[in-house]
Amino acid sequence: MALMPIFALMQFTSQIVEQAVEALSSFPGIGKRTALRLVMYLMNRPEIEVTHLADALIKLKTELHLCKRCGTVSDQEYCDICRDPRRDETLICVVEDFSDLMAIEATAQFKGTYHVLGGLISPMEGIGPSDLNIEAILQRVKEEGPKEVILALSATVEGDTTLYYVAKKLNEFDVVVSNIARGISVGGELEYVDEITLGRSLLQRTQYTIN
Amino acid sequence: MRVKELKLYQFKNHRNASWSFGDKINAFAGLNGVGKTNILDALYYLSATKSYFNHSDQQLLLFGTNEASVYAKLEKDQEYEILAGFGETRKKTFKRNGKAYARLVDHIGFLQAVFITPYDISLVFEGSEERRKFIDYSISQLNKDYLHDLIAYRKILDQRNAFLKSLEGRLLDTLLLESYDRSLVPIGTRIYEIRKKFIDEFLPIFQEIHLALAQTEISVSLSYESPLTSETFSAVLQANSYKDVQAQRTSQGIHKDDLVFEIKNMPLKKFGSQGQIKTFVVALKLAQYQYLHRKSGDLPLLLLDDIFEKIDASRSQRLMELVCSDAYGQIFISDTHGERIRAHFAPFDVSFRLFELEPEDSV
Repeated sequence: MALMPIFALMQFTSQIVEQAVEALSSFPGIGKRTALRLVMYLMNRPEIEVTHLADALIKLKTELHLCKRCGTVSDQEYCDICRDPRRDETLICVVEDFSDLMAIEATAQFKGTYHVLGGLISPMEGIGPSDLNIEAILQRVKEEGPKEVILALSATVEGDTTLYYVAKKLNEFDVVVSNIARGISVGGELEYVDEITLGRSLLQRTQYTIN
Repeated sequence: MRVKELKLYQFKNHRNASWSFGDKINAFAGLNGVGKTNILDALYYLSATKSYFNHSDQQLLLFGTNEASVYAKLEKDQEYEILAGFGETRKKTFKRNGKAYARLVDHIGFLQAVFITPYDISLVFEGSEERRKFIDYSISQLNKDYLHDLIAYRKILDQRNAFLKSLEGRLLDTLLLESYDRSLVPIGTRIYEIRKKFIDEFLPIFQEIHLALAQTEISVSLSYESPLTSETFSAVLQANSYKDVQAQRTSQGIHKDDLVFEIKNMPLKKFGSQGQIKTFVVALKLAQYQYLHRKSGDLPLLLLDDIFEKIDASRSQRLMELVCSDAYGQIFISDTHGERIRAHFAPFDVSFRLFELEPEDSV
Protein backbone atom coordinates (compact mmCIF):
# COMPACT_ATOMS: atom_id res chain seq x y z
CA MET A 1 0.00 0.00 0.00
CA ALA A 2 2.90 2.32 0.74
CA LEU A 3 3.96 2.06 -2.92
CA MET A 4 0.56 3.10 -4.27
CA PRO A 5 1.22 6.83 -4.66
CA ILE A 6 4.55 6.23 -6.40
CA PHE A 7 2.81 3.83 -8.73
CA ALA A 8 0.18 6.35 -9.62
CA LEU A 9 2.85 8.85 -10.55
CA MET A 10 5.15 6.55 -12.49
CA GLN A 11 5.94 7.33 -16.07
CA PHE A 12 5.59 4.67 -18.76
CA THR A 13 8.11 4.38 -21.60
CA SER A 14 5.45 3.14 -24.00
CA GLN A 15 1.96 4.46 -24.51
CA ILE A 16 0.84 1.06 -25.80
CA VAL A 17 1.88 -0.56 -22.54
CA GLU A 18 0.30 2.25 -20.57
CA GLN A 19 -3.01 1.86 -22.43
CA ALA A 20 -3.04 -1.88 -21.79
CA VAL A 21 -2.32 -1.33 -18.09
CA GLU A 22 -5.04 1.30 -17.84
CA ALA A 23 -7.55 -1.00 -19.56
CA LEU A 24 -6.76 -3.99 -17.38
CA SER A 25 -6.70 -2.02 -14.16
CA SER A 26 -10.32 -1.00 -14.73
CA PHE A 27 -11.31 -4.66 -14.08
CA PRO A 28 -12.82 -5.49 -10.71
CA GLY A 29 -10.20 -6.57 -8.21
CA ILE A 30 -7.29 -5.61 -10.49
CA GLY A 31 -5.05 -2.75 -9.46
CA LYS A 32 -2.29 -1.11 -11.43
CA ARG A 33 0.36 -3.42 -10.04
CA THR A 34 -1.46 -6.60 -11.08
CA ALA A 35 -2.39 -5.02 -14.41
CA LEU A 36 1.29 -4.38 -15.13
CA ARG A 37 2.13 -7.99 -14.26
CA LEU A 38 -0.53 -9.24 -16.65
CA VAL A 39 0.69 -6.97 -19.41
CA MET A 40 4.28 -8.18 -18.93
CA TYR A 41 3.05 -11.75 -19.04
CA LEU A 42 1.08 -11.16 -22.25
CA MET A 43 4.06 -9.41 -23.88
CA ASN A 44 6.09 -12.57 -23.39
CA ARG A 45 3.50 -15.00 -24.79
CA PRO A 46 3.43 -16.15 -28.44
CA GLU A 47 1.33 -13.96 -30.71
CA ILE A 48 -1.14 -16.74 -31.49
CA GLU A 49 -2.02 -17.11 -27.83
CA VAL A 50 -2.66 -13.40 -27.38
CA THR A 51 -4.73 -13.27 -30.57
CA HIS A 52 -6.77 -16.15 -29.27
CA LEU A 53 -7.45 -14.27 -26.05
CA ALA A 54 -8.37 -11.11 -27.93
CA ASP A 55 -10.77 -13.09 -30.12
CA ALA A 56 -12.43 -14.65 -27.12
CA LEU A 57 -12.92 -11.21 -25.61
CA ILE A 58 -14.39 -9.72 -28.79
CA LYS A 59 -16.76 -12.65 -29.17
CA LEU A 60 -18.15 -11.86 -25.73
CA LYS A 61 -19.62 -8.75 -27.26
CA THR A 62 -20.26 -9.80 -30.85
CA GLU A 63 -21.41 -13.39 -30.73
CA LEU A 64 -22.97 -13.84 -27.35
CA HIS A 65 -26.75 -13.99 -27.12
CA LEU A 66 -29.22 -14.24 -24.33
CA CYS A 67 -31.15 -17.50 -24.45
CA LYS A 68 -34.61 -16.81 -25.80
CA ARG A 69 -36.16 -19.03 -23.21
CA CYS A 70 -34.31 -18.62 -19.95
CA GLY A 71 -32.37 -15.41 -20.51
CA THR A 72 -28.92 -16.73 -19.70
CA VAL A 73 -25.86 -16.14 -21.85
CA SER A 74 -25.69 -18.46 -24.84
CA ASP A 75 -23.85 -18.97 -28.12
CA GLN A 76 -27.06 -19.83 -29.91
CA GLU A 77 -30.69 -18.85 -29.85
CA TYR A 78 -31.28 -21.31 -27.01
CA CYS A 79 -28.67 -22.14 -24.40
CA ASP A 80 -27.05 -25.54 -23.85
CA ILE A 81 -29.16 -26.23 -20.79
CA CYS A 82 -32.46 -25.42 -22.49
CA ARG A 83 -31.49 -27.63 -25.43
CA ASP A 84 -30.40 -30.55 -23.27
CA PRO A 85 -33.14 -33.24 -23.41
CA ARG A 86 -31.99 -34.75 -20.10
CA ARG A 87 -33.01 -31.60 -18.22
CA ASP A 88 -36.27 -31.78 -16.32
CA GLU A 89 -38.50 -29.18 -17.91
CA THR A 90 -41.11 -29.33 -15.19
CA LEU A 91 -38.70 -27.60 -12.79
CA ILE A 92 -37.62 -24.00 -13.23
CA CYS A 93 -35.07 -22.39 -10.96
CA VAL A 94 -35.21 -18.57 -10.95
CA VAL A 95 -31.87 -16.88 -10.34
CA GLU A 96 -30.59 -13.31 -10.32
CA ASP A 97 -27.84 -13.64 -12.92
CA PHE A 98 -25.52 -15.90 -14.84
CA SER A 99 -23.04 -16.23 -11.99
CA ASP A 100 -25.78 -17.42 -9.63
CA LEU A 101 -26.82 -19.95 -12.27
CA MET A 102 -23.25 -21.22 -12.37
CA ALA A 103 -23.21 -21.44 -8.57
CA ILE A 104 -26.32 -23.63 -8.61
CA GLU A 105 -24.93 -25.71 -11.46
CA ALA A 106 -21.80 -26.28 -9.42
CA THR A 107 -23.86 -27.99 -6.72
CA ALA A 108 -24.78 -30.75 -9.21
CA GLN A 109 -28.03 -31.02 -7.28
CA PHE A 110 -30.32 -29.46 -9.81
CA LYS A 111 -31.43 -31.13 -13.01
CA GLY A 112 -34.18 -28.75 -14.08
CA THR A 113 -34.01 -25.61 -16.20
CA TYR A 114 -33.28 -22.02 -15.25
CA HIS A 115 -34.70 -18.59 -15.59
CA VAL A 116 -32.35 -15.63 -15.26
CA LEU A 117 -33.91 -12.37 -14.06
CA GLY A 118 -30.93 -10.20 -14.95
CA GLY A 119 -30.86 -8.47 -11.55
CA LEU A 120 -32.98 -7.78 -8.50
CA ILE A 121 -35.56 -5.09 -7.90
CA SER A 122 -33.67 -2.10 -6.49
CA PRO A 123 -35.19 1.35 -7.07
CA MET A 124 -32.10 2.86 -5.45
CA GLU A 125 -30.09 1.63 -8.42
CA GLY A 126 -32.90 2.49 -10.81
CA ILE A 127 -33.96 -1.14 -11.31
CA GLY A 128 -37.69 -1.71 -11.32
CA PRO A 129 -39.66 -4.89 -12.10
CA SER A 130 -40.02 -3.94 -15.76
CA ASP A 131 -36.24 -3.83 -16.15
CA LEU A 132 -36.05 -7.50 -15.24
CA ASN A 133 -36.99 -10.72 -17.00
CA ILE A 134 -40.14 -11.09 -14.89
CA GLU A 135 -42.82 -10.99 -17.61
CA ALA A 136 -40.93 -13.74 -19.42
CA ILE A 137 -41.08 -16.16 -16.49
CA LEU A 138 -44.84 -15.62 -16.19
CA GLN A 139 -45.19 -16.25 -19.89
CA ARG A 140 -43.07 -19.39 -19.60
CA VAL A 141 -45.11 -20.76 -16.74
CA LYS A 142 -48.27 -20.08 -18.69
CA GLU A 143 -47.00 -21.80 -21.82
CA GLU A 144 -44.87 -24.62 -20.41
CA GLY A 145 -46.96 -25.46 -17.36
CA PRO A 146 -44.09 -26.55 -15.07
CA LYS A 147 -44.77 -28.34 -11.77
CA GLU A 148 -42.54 -26.17 -9.63
CA VAL A 149 -40.74 -22.85 -9.73
CA ILE A 150 -37.84 -22.57 -7.28
CA LEU A 151 -36.85 -19.04 -6.33
CA ALA A 152 -33.12 -19.03 -5.57
CA LEU A 153 -32.39 -15.41 -4.73
CA SER A 154 -29.99 -13.67 -2.35
CA ALA A 155 -31.12 -13.19 1.25
CA THR A 156 -30.94 -9.39 1.06
CA VAL A 157 -33.59 -6.66 1.09
CA GLU A 158 -33.49 -6.63 -2.72
CA GLY A 159 -33.64 -10.44 -2.91
CA ASP A 160 -36.56 -10.63 -0.48
CA THR A 161 -38.47 -7.90 -2.32
CA THR A 162 -37.98 -9.62 -5.67
CA LEU A 163 -38.87 -12.96 -4.12
CA TYR A 164 -42.21 -11.70 -2.84
CA TYR A 165 -42.93 -9.80 -6.04
CA VAL A 166 -42.31 -12.78 -8.33
CA ALA A 167 -43.99 -15.27 -6.00
CA LYS A 168 -47.10 -13.12 -5.82
CA LYS A 169 -47.19 -12.83 -9.61
CA LEU A 170 -46.83 -16.60 -9.95
CA ASN A 171 -49.64 -17.12 -7.49
CA GLU A 172 -52.29 -16.95 -10.20
CA PHE A 173 -50.88 -20.01 -11.95
CA ASP A 174 -51.29 -23.61 -10.97
CA VAL A 175 -47.67 -24.13 -10.00
CA VAL A 176 -45.82 -24.86 -6.78
CA VAL A 177 -43.60 -21.93 -5.82
CA SER A 178 -40.73 -22.65 -3.46
CA ASN A 179 -37.91 -20.68 -1.93
CA ILE A 180 -34.44 -22.04 -1.17
CA ALA A 181 -33.77 -22.62 2.54
CA ARG A 182 -31.72 -20.10 4.48
CA GLY A 183 -29.62 -21.43 7.27
CA ILE A 184 -26.38 -22.68 8.67
CA SER A 185 -23.54 -23.42 6.29
CA VAL A 186 -22.21 -26.97 6.15
CA GLY A 187 -19.28 -27.39 8.54
CA GLY A 188 -20.36 -24.28 10.41
CA GLU A 189 -20.31 -24.32 14.19
CA LEU A 190 -23.51 -23.11 15.76
CA GLU A 191 -21.96 -20.64 18.20
CA TYR A 192 -20.32 -18.73 15.36
CA VAL A 193 -23.47 -18.37 13.28
CA ASP A 194 -24.90 -14.84 13.38
CA GLU A 195 -28.14 -14.49 15.30
CA ILE A 196 -30.31 -13.59 12.30
CA THR A 197 -29.29 -16.64 10.31
CA LEU A 198 -29.64 -18.85 13.35
CA GLY A 199 -33.08 -17.44 14.13
CA ARG A 200 -34.17 -18.04 10.58
CA SER A 201 -32.88 -21.60 10.58
CA LEU A 202 -34.94 -22.27 13.69
CA LEU A 203 -38.08 -20.86 12.11
CA GLN A 204 -37.50 -22.81 8.91
CA ARG A 205 -36.42 -26.04 10.58
CA THR A 206 -37.14 -29.29 8.75
CA GLN A 207 -38.31 -32.59 10.11
CA TYR A 208 -35.47 -35.01 10.62
CA THR A 209 -36.02 -38.23 8.74
CA ILE A 210 -34.10 -41.40 9.42
CA ASN A 211 -33.58 -43.40 6.29
CA MET B 1 -15.10 -1.80 31.94
CA ARG B 2 -11.97 0.25 32.56
CA VAL B 3 -9.51 1.76 30.14
CA LYS B 4 -5.96 1.17 31.35
CA GLU B 5 -4.19 2.72 28.42
CA LEU B 6 -4.99 4.78 25.33
CA LYS B 7 -2.80 5.42 22.30
CA LEU B 8 -3.70 7.78 19.51
CA TYR B 9 -1.92 7.84 16.19
CA GLN B 10 -2.69 10.70 13.80
CA PHE B 11 -6.12 11.05 15.35
CA LYS B 12 -7.31 14.68 15.06
CA ASN B 13 -4.50 16.81 16.44
CA HIS B 14 -2.71 13.95 18.23
CA ARG B 15 0.18 12.76 16.11
CA ASN B 16 1.41 10.13 18.49
CA ALA B 17 0.22 10.23 22.07
CA SER B 18 -0.50 7.80 24.87
CA TRP B 19 -1.87 7.87 28.38
CA SER B 20 -2.18 5.44 31.28
CA PHE B 21 -5.36 5.91 33.23
CA GLY B 22 -6.43 5.58 36.83
CA ASP B 23 -9.49 3.69 37.98
CA LYS B 24 -11.79 6.60 38.69
CA ILE B 25 -11.26 10.21 37.65
CA ASN B 26 -9.03 11.05 34.70
CA ALA B 27 -8.92 14.73 33.91
CA PHE B 28 -7.56 16.47 30.85
CA ALA B 29 -6.73 20.11 31.23
CA GLY B 30 -5.31 22.67 28.87
CA LEU B 31 -6.09 25.62 26.68
CA ASN B 32 -8.66 25.53 23.95
CA GLY B 33 -7.42 23.66 20.93
CA VAL B 34 -4.99 21.29 22.67
CA GLY B 35 -7.26 18.36 21.88
CA LYS B 36 -9.01 17.50 25.15
CA THR B 37 -12.34 16.78 23.52
CA ASN B 38 -10.58 14.76 20.83
CA ILE B 39 -9.31 12.35 23.48
CA LEU B 40 -12.83 11.87 24.81
CA ASP B 41 -14.08 11.44 21.24
CA ALA B 42 -11.39 8.81 20.62
CA LEU B 43 -12.70 6.84 23.60
CA TYR B 44 -16.22 7.21 22.26
CA TYR B 45 -14.97 6.10 18.85
CA LEU B 46 -13.72 2.87 20.40
CA SER B 47 -17.18 2.33 21.83
CA ALA B 48 -19.43 3.33 18.95
CA THR B 49 -17.07 2.82 15.98
CA LYS B 50 -17.66 6.43 15.04
CA SER B 51 -17.19 9.97 16.28
CA TYR B 52 -19.74 11.40 18.68
CA PHE B 53 -19.82 14.63 16.70
CA ASN B 54 -20.83 13.06 13.41
CA HIS B 55 -17.39 13.63 11.96
CA SER B 56 -16.61 11.37 9.05
CA ASP B 57 -13.48 9.24 9.46
CA GLN B 58 -11.75 11.52 6.96
CA GLN B 59 -12.35 14.46 9.27
CA LEU B 60 -10.71 12.57 12.13
CA LEU B 61 -7.36 12.29 10.36
CA LEU B 62 -4.55 14.58 11.47
CA PHE B 63 -4.19 17.24 8.80
CA GLY B 64 -1.92 16.05 6.02
CA THR B 65 -1.99 12.37 6.97
CA ASN B 66 -3.98 9.55 5.41
CA GLU B 67 -4.44 7.03 8.16
CA ALA B 68 -5.04 6.92 11.88
CA SER B 69 -5.45 4.46 14.69
CA VAL B 70 -6.87 4.34 18.18
CA TYR B 71 -5.69 1.68 20.57
CA ALA B 72 -6.81 0.90 24.09
CA LYS B 73 -6.03 -1.65 26.71
CA LEU B 74 -9.17 -2.46 28.63
CA GLU B 75 -9.96 -4.39 31.74
CA LYS B 76 -13.16 -6.09 32.74
CA ASP B 77 -13.03 -9.70 33.89
CA GLN B 78 -9.84 -9.98 31.87
CA GLU B 79 -7.64 -7.72 29.76
CA TYR B 80 -8.66 -6.82 26.26
CA GLU B 81 -6.99 -4.86 23.52
CA ILE B 82 -9.03 -2.90 21.02
CA LEU B 83 -7.41 -1.46 17.94
CA ALA B 84 -9.32 0.70 15.51
CA GLY B 85 -7.68 1.67 12.24
CA PHE B 86 -8.98 3.76 9.38
CA GLY B 87 -7.76 5.95 6.58
CA GLU B 88 -8.23 7.27 3.10
CA THR B 89 -7.03 4.20 1.25
CA ARG B 90 -7.76 1.47 3.75
CA LYS B 91 -10.84 -0.22 5.02
CA LYS B 92 -11.87 0.68 8.55
CA THR B 93 -11.16 -2.19 10.91
CA PHE B 94 -11.79 -2.94 14.55
CA LYS B 95 -9.75 -5.63 16.23
CA ARG B 96 -10.34 -7.20 19.61
CA ASN B 97 -7.26 -8.98 20.92
CA GLY B 98 -5.76 -8.96 17.46
CA LYS B 99 -8.77 -10.49 15.74
CA ALA B 100 -10.66 -8.28 13.32
CA TYR B 101 -14.43 -8.14 13.57
CA ALA B 102 -16.15 -9.36 10.41
CA ARG B 103 -18.68 -6.55 10.77
CA LEU B 104 -18.29 -3.35 12.77
CA VAL B 105 -21.74 -3.79 14.33
CA ASP B 106 -20.46 -6.90 16.10
CA HIS B 107 -18.35 -4.62 18.28
CA ILE B 108 -21.26 -2.41 19.39
CA GLY B 109 -22.04 -2.93 23.06
CA PHE B 110 -18.66 -4.36 23.99
CA LEU B 111 -17.35 -1.11 25.40
CA GLN B 112 -20.19 1.10 26.56
CA ALA B 113 -19.70 4.83 26.89
CA VAL B 114 -21.89 7.80 27.71
CA PHE B 115 -20.70 11.17 26.46
CA ILE B 116 -21.92 14.42 28.02
CA THR B 117 -21.00 17.50 26.02
CA PRO B 118 -22.26 21.07 25.61
CA TYR B 119 -23.69 19.96 22.24
CA ASP B 120 -26.25 17.77 23.97
CA ILE B 121 -28.52 20.76 24.06
CA SER B 122 -29.39 19.73 20.49
CA LEU B 123 -31.46 16.94 22.08
CA VAL B 124 -33.92 19.65 23.07
CA PHE B 125 -33.66 22.10 20.21
CA GLU B 126 -32.93 20.00 17.15
CA GLY B 127 -35.29 17.76 15.22
CA SER B 128 -36.64 14.40 16.32
CA GLU B 129 -33.71 12.54 14.76
CA GLU B 130 -31.50 13.55 17.69
CA ARG B 131 -33.96 12.09 20.17
CA ARG B 132 -34.41 8.88 18.17
CA LYS B 133 -30.62 8.55 18.14
CA PHE B 134 -30.62 8.87 21.91
CA ILE B 135 -33.20 6.10 22.27
CA ASP B 136 -31.57 3.89 19.66
CA TYR B 137 -28.09 4.26 21.15
CA SER B 138 -29.37 3.36 24.62
CA ILE B 139 -31.12 0.24 23.38
CA SER B 140 -28.63 -1.03 20.84
CA GLN B 141 -25.80 -1.12 23.35
CA LEU B 142 -27.61 -4.01 24.97
CA ASN B 143 -29.78 -5.46 22.24
CA LYS B 144 -28.14 -6.71 19.06
CA ASP B 145 -31.40 -7.82 17.48
CA TYR B 146 -32.71 -4.28 17.83
CA LEU B 147 -29.61 -2.91 16.12
CA HIS B 148 -30.00 -5.38 13.26
CA ASP B 149 -33.66 -4.42 12.98
CA LEU B 150 -32.75 -0.74 12.76
CA ILE B 151 -30.27 -1.42 9.99
CA ALA B 152 -32.72 -3.63 8.09
CA TYR B 153 -35.54 -1.09 8.52
CA ARG B 154 -33.32 1.67 7.10
CA LYS B 155 -32.40 -0.45 4.06
CA ILE B 156 -36.00 -1.31 3.23
CA LEU B 157 -37.12 2.26 3.85
CA ASP B 158 -34.42 3.61 1.51
CA GLN B 159 -35.60 1.25 -1.23
CA ARG B 160 -39.24 2.12 -0.60
CA ASN B 161 -38.46 5.84 -0.80
CA ALA B 162 -36.38 5.38 -3.95
CA PHE B 163 -39.29 3.48 -5.44
CA LEU B 164 -41.77 6.26 -4.56
CA LYS B 165 -39.37 8.78 -6.04
CA SER B 166 -38.96 6.78 -9.23
CA LEU B 167 -42.70 6.89 -9.93
CA GLU B 168 -42.85 10.53 -10.97
CA GLY B 169 -46.44 10.38 -11.97
CA ARG B 170 -46.28 6.91 -13.46
CA LEU B 171 -48.80 4.29 -12.46
CA LEU B 172 -48.13 2.88 -8.99
CA ASP B 173 -47.06 -0.76 -8.94
CA THR B 174 -49.09 -1.65 -5.85
CA LEU B 175 -47.54 -5.09 -5.66
CA LEU B 176 -44.06 -3.65 -5.28
CA LEU B 177 -45.25 -1.23 -2.61
CA GLU B 178 -46.89 -4.15 -0.85
CA SER B 179 -43.67 -6.16 -0.96
CA TYR B 180 -41.80 -3.35 0.83
CA ASP B 181 -44.60 -2.88 3.35
CA ARG B 182 -44.77 -6.51 4.32
CA SER B 183 -41.04 -6.45 5.12
CA LEU B 184 -41.28 -3.12 6.89
CA VAL B 185 -44.28 -3.94 9.10
CA PRO B 186 -42.90 -6.71 11.34
CA ILE B 187 -39.54 -4.98 11.78
CA GLY B 188 -41.10 -1.56 12.45
CA THR B 189 -43.55 -3.08 14.91
CA ARG B 190 -40.76 -4.78 16.83
CA ILE B 191 -38.79 -1.52 16.97
CA TYR B 192 -41.87 0.28 18.30
CA GLU B 193 -42.51 -2.32 21.01
CA ILE B 194 -38.91 -2.22 22.18
CA ARG B 195 -38.79 1.58 22.23
CA LYS B 196 -42.00 1.69 24.23
CA LYS B 197 -40.64 -0.78 26.76
CA PHE B 198 -37.41 1.20 26.93
CA ILE B 199 -39.23 4.46 27.75
CA ASP B 200 -41.24 2.68 30.45
CA GLU B 201 -38.05 1.48 32.11
CA PHE B 202 -36.06 4.61 31.43
CA LEU B 203 -38.53 7.19 32.75
CA PRO B 204 -38.32 6.31 36.48
CA ILE B 205 -34.51 6.22 36.29
CA PHE B 206 -34.53 9.62 34.64
CA GLN B 207 -36.89 11.09 37.25
CA GLU B 208 -34.83 9.70 40.08
CA ILE B 209 -31.62 11.21 38.68
CA HIS B 210 -33.24 14.51 37.83
CA LEU B 211 -34.41 14.81 41.41
CA ALA B 212 -30.95 13.99 42.73
CA LEU B 213 -29.36 16.56 40.45
CA ALA B 214 -31.90 19.38 40.66
CA GLN B 215 -32.57 18.79 44.36
CA THR B 216 -36.03 20.28 44.01
CA GLU B 217 -39.33 18.53 43.51
CA ILE B 218 -40.08 19.61 40.02
CA SER B 219 -42.06 17.27 37.86
CA VAL B 220 -40.29 16.12 34.71
CA SER B 221 -41.44 13.61 32.18
CA LEU B 222 -40.79 12.03 28.81
CA SER B 223 -43.42 10.79 26.47
CA TYR B 224 -42.92 8.60 23.49
CA GLU B 225 -44.75 9.72 20.38
CA SER B 226 -45.33 7.25 17.61
CA PRO B 227 -48.16 6.69 15.14
CA LEU B 228 -48.06 3.06 16.23
CA THR B 229 -49.47 3.99 19.64
CA SER B 230 -52.97 4.13 18.22
CA GLU B 231 -52.79 2.07 15.04
CA THR B 232 -51.00 -0.93 13.64
CA PHE B 233 -48.06 -0.19 11.40
CA SER B 234 -49.72 -1.73 8.37
CA ALA B 235 -52.78 0.48 8.93
CA VAL B 236 -50.48 3.51 9.19
CA LEU B 237 -48.73 2.64 5.93
CA GLN B 238 -52.01 1.95 4.17
CA ALA B 239 -53.64 5.15 5.37
CA ASN B 240 -50.66 7.14 4.11
CA SER B 241 -50.02 5.35 0.83
CA TYR B 242 -51.66 8.04 -1.30
CA LYS B 243 -49.83 10.77 0.57
CA ASP B 244 -46.56 8.83 0.23
CA VAL B 245 -46.92 8.63 -3.53
CA GLN B 246 -47.57 12.37 -3.70
CA ALA B 247 -44.72 13.24 -1.36
CA GLN B 248 -42.41 10.63 -2.97
CA ARG B 249 -41.31 9.37 0.43
CA THR B 250 -42.60 7.40 3.40
CA SER B 251 -44.33 10.04 5.47
CA GLN B 252 -45.21 7.99 8.55
CA GLY B 253 -43.52 5.23 10.47
CA ILE B 254 -41.18 4.56 13.34
CA HIS B 255 -38.53 6.59 11.48
CA LYS B 256 -40.56 9.65 12.53
CA ASP B 257 -41.01 8.72 16.19
CA ASP B 258 -40.27 11.37 18.76
CA LEU B 259 -39.62 11.79 22.44
CA VAL B 260 -41.29 14.77 24.05
CA PHE B 261 -39.60 16.37 27.05
CA GLU B 262 -41.85 17.93 29.66
CA ILE B 263 -41.29 20.04 32.71
CA LYS B 264 -44.24 20.78 34.99
CA ASN B 265 -46.40 19.16 32.29
CA MET B 266 -45.34 21.75 29.74
CA PRO B 267 -42.98 21.33 26.78
CA LEU B 268 -39.43 21.88 28.02
CA LYS B 269 -38.30 23.50 24.78
CA LYS B 270 -40.78 26.34 25.18
CA PHE B 271 -41.16 26.68 28.93
CA GLY B 272 -37.88 25.54 30.45
CA SER B 273 -35.34 28.11 31.63
CA GLN B 274 -31.72 27.85 30.44
CA GLY B 275 -30.72 26.25 33.71
CA GLN B 276 -33.65 23.85 33.72
CA ILE B 277 -32.85 22.73 30.18
CA LYS B 278 -29.20 22.11 31.00
CA THR B 279 -30.08 20.13 34.11
CA PHE B 280 -32.67 18.15 32.15
CA VAL B 281 -30.14 17.20 29.49
CA VAL B 282 -27.44 16.18 31.96
CA ALA B 283 -30.02 14.11 33.84
CA LEU B 284 -31.02 12.40 30.56
CA LYS B 285 -27.42 11.42 29.91
CA LEU B 286 -26.79 10.22 33.46
CA ALA B 287 -30.01 8.24 33.26
CA GLN B 288 -28.75 6.69 30.04
CA TYR B 289 -25.64 5.71 31.96
CA GLN B 290 -27.65 4.20 34.80
CA TYR B 291 -29.97 2.41 32.41
CA LEU B 292 -26.99 0.74 30.71
CA HIS B 293 -25.37 0.00 34.05
CA ARG B 294 -28.45 -1.49 35.68
CA LYS B 295 -29.33 -3.56 32.62
CA SER B 296 -25.87 -4.93 31.92
CA GLY B 297 -24.25 -4.89 35.35
CA ASP B 298 -21.22 -3.30 33.71
CA LEU B 299 -20.02 0.24 34.40
CA PRO B 300 -19.82 2.20 31.14
CA LEU B 301 -17.20 4.92 30.59
CA LEU B 302 -18.45 8.37 31.45
CA LEU B 303 -17.06 11.12 29.25
CA LEU B 304 -17.63 14.63 30.56
CA ASP B 305 -16.68 17.40 28.17
CA ASP B 306 -16.48 20.96 29.50
CA ILE B 307 -19.04 20.13 32.14
CA PHE B 308 -18.30 23.09 34.43
CA GLU B 309 -19.05 25.55 31.66
CA LYS B 310 -22.42 23.96 31.38
CA ILE B 311 -24.12 24.02 34.71
CA ASP B 312 -23.95 26.26 37.73
CA ALA B 313 -21.62 25.66 40.65
CA SER B 314 -24.09 24.04 43.04
CA ARG B 315 -25.41 21.66 40.37
CA SER B 316 -21.91 20.75 39.22
CA GLN B 317 -20.94 20.01 42.83
CA ARG B 318 -23.98 17.78 43.11
CA LEU B 319 -22.99 16.12 39.84
CA MET B 320 -19.50 15.38 41.15
CA GLU B 321 -21.04 13.87 44.25
CA LEU B 322 -23.22 11.58 42.14
CA VAL B 323 -20.52 10.39 39.77
CA CYS B 324 -18.05 9.76 42.58
CA SER B 325 -20.39 7.14 44.00
CA ASP B 326 -20.08 3.44 43.24
CA ALA B 327 -22.95 3.68 40.77
CA TYR B 328 -20.49 5.20 38.31
CA GLY B 329 -17.22 3.77 37.05
CA GLN B 330 -14.27 5.30 35.31
CA ILE B 331 -14.67 8.94 34.34
CA PHE B 332 -12.89 11.05 31.75
CA ILE B 333 -13.32 14.75 32.15
CA SER B 334 -12.04 17.78 30.29
CA ASP B 335 -11.71 21.40 31.38
CA THR B 336 -9.56 24.38 30.59
CA HIS B 337 -8.28 24.57 34.18
CA GLY B 338 -6.68 21.60 35.84
CA GLU B 339 -6.86 23.09 39.29
CA ARG B 340 -10.57 23.75 38.91
CA ILE B 341 -11.21 20.06 38.23
CA ARG B 342 -8.96 19.07 41.13
CA ALA B 343 -10.86 21.41 43.44
CA HIS B 344 -14.20 19.93 42.38
CA PHE B 345 -13.07 16.44 43.26
CA ALA B 346 -11.11 17.36 46.36
CA PRO B 347 -13.99 16.67 48.79
CA PHE B 348 -14.30 13.09 47.56
CA ASP B 349 -12.10 10.17 48.35
CA VAL B 350 -11.50 8.96 44.81
CA SER B 351 -8.45 8.25 42.71
CA PHE B 352 -7.65 11.29 40.62
CA ARG B 353 -5.25 11.62 37.72
CA LEU B 354 -4.66 14.94 35.98
CA PHE B 355 -3.17 15.20 32.50
CA GLU B 356 -2.07 18.69 31.59
CA LEU B 357 -1.99 19.01 27.83
CA GLU B 358 0.42 21.45 26.24
CA PRO B 359 -0.03 22.59 22.67
CA GLU B 360 3.27 20.93 21.65
CA ASP B 361 2.14 17.65 23.24
CA SER B 362 -0.26 17.06 20.47
CA VAL B 363 0.86 18.60 17.19
